[in-house]
Amino acid sequence: MKLNLTTTKRGSKGLSPQDEDSSLIDDEKREKRKIGFGFWVSIGWMILVVIAAFLAPVLPIPDPDQTGAGGRLDAPNWDNWFGTDTNGRDMFSRTIWGSRVSLTVGFFAIVFGFAVGGPLGIVAGFFKGATDKFLSIIIFILFAFPGLVLALLIISLLGQTLAVVCLTIGIIGVAPVARLARAITISISEREFVAAARILGSTNRRIMIKEILPNVTIPMGALAFLGMALAIVGEGGLAFLGLSVEEGFSWGKMIVLGSASRTLQKAPWVSMFPIGIMFLTVMSLNYAGDRLRDFFDVREMGIGGG
Amino acid sequence: MADSLISVEDLHVSFLTEQGSVRAVDGVSFDLEPGKSIGIVGESGSGKSVTAKTLMNLLPSYAQVEGSMKFDGRDLREIARKKEKHFWGVEMTMIFQDPMTSLNPVKRIGEQIAESLRIHMNRSRSEAMTEAGDLLEQVGIPEPAKRLRQYPHELSGGLRQRVVIAIALACDPRLLIADEPTTALDVTVQKHILDLLDDLRKERGMSMILITHDLGVVKGRTDEIMVMYGGRTMEKAPTSVLFECDGLHPYTEALNATIPKIDTPSHTRLVPIPGKPPEVIGKIIGCPFVPRCRYSTSECLTDMPPLVEQEKRHLCACHNPVSTPEGIKARETNQNAGHTPAGLDMKEFETSAARSDTGEL
Amino acid sequence: MAGSGVTQMREDDDIVLSVKNLVMEFKVGRDEIVHAVSDVSFDVKKGETLGIVGESGCGKSTTARSIVQLPKPTSGSVMVDSEDGPIELSGLKGDALRKIRPKLQMIFQDPISSLNPRRIVREVVKEGLAIWPNGMSEQQIQDRVDEILESVGIDPEIAATRRAHEFSGGQCQRISIARAVALDPEILICDEPVSALDVSVQAQILNLLEEMKEKYGLTLLFISHDLSVVRNVSDRVVVMYLGKICEIGSSDTIYSLPAHPYTRVLLASAPEPASTVSESESAIGDDIPSPINPPTGCRFRTRCPSAQALCEEKEPEMQKVGDDHFVACHFPVIDR
Repeated sequence: MKLNLTTTKRGSKGLSPQDEDSSLIDDEKREKRKIGFGFWVSIGWMILVVIAAFLAPVLPIPDPDQTGAGGRLDAPNWDNWFGTDTNGRDMFSRTIWGSRVSLTVGFFAIVFGFAVGGPLGIVAGFFKGATDKFLSIIIFILFAFPGLVLALLIISLLGQTLAVVCLTIGIIGVAPVARLARAITISISEREFVAAARILGSTNRRIMIKEILPNVTIPMGALAFLGMALAIVGEGGLAFLGLSVEEGFSWGKMIVLGSASRTLQKAPWVSMFPIGIMFLTVMSLNYAGDRLRDFFDVREMGIGGG
Repeated sequence: MADSLISVEDLHVSFLTEQGSVRAVDGVSFDLEPGKSIGIVGESGSGKSVTAKTLMNLLPSYAQVEGSMKFDGRDLREIARKKEKHFWGVEMTMIFQDPMTSLNPVKRIGEQIAESLRIHMNRSRSEAMTEAGDLLEQVGIPEPAKRLRQYPHELSGGLRQRVVIAIALACDPRLLIADEPTTALDVTVQKHILDLLDDLRKERGMSMILITHDLGVVKGRTDEIMVMYGGRTMEKAPTSVLFECDGLHPYTEALNATIPKIDTPSHTRLVPIPGKPPEVIGKIIGCPFVPRCRYSTSECLTDMPPLVEQEKRHLCACHNPVSTPEGIKARETNQNAGHTPAGLDMKEFETSAARSDTGEL
Repeated sequence: MAGSGVTQMREDDDIVLSVKNLVMEFKVGRDEIVHAVSDVSFDVKKGETLGIVGESGCGKSTTARSIVQLPKPTSGSVMVDSEDGPIELSGLKGDALRKIRPKLQMIFQDPISSLNPRRIVREVVKEGLAIWPNGMSEQQIQDRVDEILESVGIDPEIAATRRAHEFSGGQCQRISIARAVALDPEILICDEPVSALDVSVQAQILNLLEEMKEKYGLTLLFISHDLSVVRNVSDRVVVMYLGKICEIGSSDTIYSLPAHPYTRVLLASAPEPASTVSESESAIGDDIPSPINPPTGCRFRTRCPSAQALCEEKEPEMQKVGDDHFVACHFPVIDR
């Protein structure tokens, strides 16, 4: 924090950690630090998409597999909001049903990636030394291994089920998550409150859970949003290679079907609607994640003497 | 004052932040004659550094500046508007607390000094290098020829600050602002740097503003002292006058009494200044020091006292200056009431019983 | 200076901390070694405040860190008094070391970095008791936390809802003190506890430390670069330079009769120099030698005004020059 020319409010008051000495910040003032309107729009969109996915079976929409919901390749109209595909299936209904697979992959892949990568990174960053070297090598190998080849390998071995697709993308996510968790843990471990906890007689486990974890969670949470966005796009990529789920369909699979050149020319909506919805969802996730990170970065700066 | 080099009048600086308007400097005025020095003393939040940065045109765009600042009769804000190239860094220059942040870590010392000579003074490469060597010698760096080829990280903290001073002096400035120039340095080095600055000032007839949080640093060093608190000038006097009476303003007095002295025996009671440094957000009514002051009267809560001449050349902004009849009376009244009008318990000024038990006093 | 030896160690039943021949070395690069602390010995009596003063790089903070075994010293002994007699810390590992930790607590320079930004302040203060309840009930623990918070001047109600960044630097330092004292330690190590604070807050914290010392029967190890602060709080003072002890003695003796040339330089360099030395004594070189290649013999000789050939050849041993006054110098200034 010993900057020379910080000219924000804190810089205006001097040049050292003493700057913080400006008494309690009132609750009222604290709330003024806004996360922004865009964040809430993004969150609103995500909630809408998730609710639609959940309620798909009870929504008054046609069966997504029903082949006579309209004509073949009908343009969007009052009956079929998003038009129909080559088999005359209702695209609106299919988009909603398709989101179920895409969102599931997005969510569970990230849960897996974080559940494995997070602890791996924290342990590596906390213990340093030999433990760190060993875990870092694993992370490094995971990084170096071409993701696509890994996906091909796993899916061809274990089959094209939803769980396998989640797992595949999750495994690819482990390395970047672990690396970030490790970096954050290393910087947190150097803070004096960790030394203080040790001096109090905390066990390593307690320090990791009580002191490190809460400080790693928030920046990682922001990353989770970005990760989910990547996972959804990743599933789309797998679908293009014909590696996504065999049963059912996802946004990715719908885009593949709609992108046959004749369909694309005659009825662009067949691919454009899933693309559009996926785009909005991914953008919302990215934006929300970004805002979240900035928001907590600011708070972090307000705290951080280092 | 026509003959002053720099003349600041009623300077106000505020920053618009998400938390509201931060008034960093609030009505500060001072004059500095050529060849003279002034020490600005204050803690964090006092506005001392912002004052310096305002003079150096280093404030961010969202800072709002009001008041007049004249350098040799020329309006500083006019100079800033015209984007004059050879003013800051040439006529007026500044050095900072941490020498490492002022130096470019990947450039040799010689190049860094020569750079400003070449830009501002039109020197050729070899001329600039020769001059750079001379400058290093002037700031007391041994083996200047060798140092010219070194990188900042190869030097000790003290030598780095000397290099920073050499860079500052390269264009022969008329005013040098030193913002906590020795705070990051070790005690044994600190004094040498301060002495060096003083010697260079006298040799070159340069003016200097020395900014510090430590009264001891300016004692016997600058011609004048200005004590700031909460963005305002609390007291201003020639150094000798100020230290003769240990301060007329209750804040100066309190600051003097709260700092441990090297010559007093162990466990001597320290008189604490209760409370916290001032809040700079929002409008302050009355005197900013009132929540921590034992001389306060109800008047202090509502009226900011003006900076007036209490004694010859000794200005103080206080309704009840220390050791004046008003001050003595105010303190007695508060002592009898047990608290100040601001609601501060007078017991806070006593060092606790536990402490006096262990003390030799 | 650069002195070794153990003459300054006292024979006393009241010794609660005794550090003997402490050495701390760090490896940097391939085969360079930083000699951060080299053969340092001192002891602290119960209820005493020992001040350690020196410039940056003198090893004072490293000494503090190695006393609490973070990290463990390269060699040397750290003995702490306990119910079962003195315990050697450097030999302890794992749970055995953890069990003794509550006896030695520490507060740090940076008040903000010392507190976990994500935890409620009350939880921070309670942490020690949560780890070592020692048979206390939850209610007793809560009461104890309240009591300690109040004694450091923090409202327990406010502490129950807020995190560290909502407090000022001075208040954060109070919270750190509360956390350290909650476990009823024998020794409190204060590493530059007021250096990051505003001068107007400094005295509050120093006074608070004295109060806490009295109230909880603490023994303090007070580390600072500020000569005046160290004199004010200490009963005894250790002056360190480049990993070695120069001078050790009762605080008033060190400041009124400084015998080591380095102590004299320090006292003369202070913004308001001590009256016992002349200001001209501050004139020494600025170049502090690297702890990677410390000078032979006396480590201060490269800057010492009274250095002679002997100082290069032979390292001075600690010698007694007065009542509770020890100096490691071949040519100490003794004018009494």
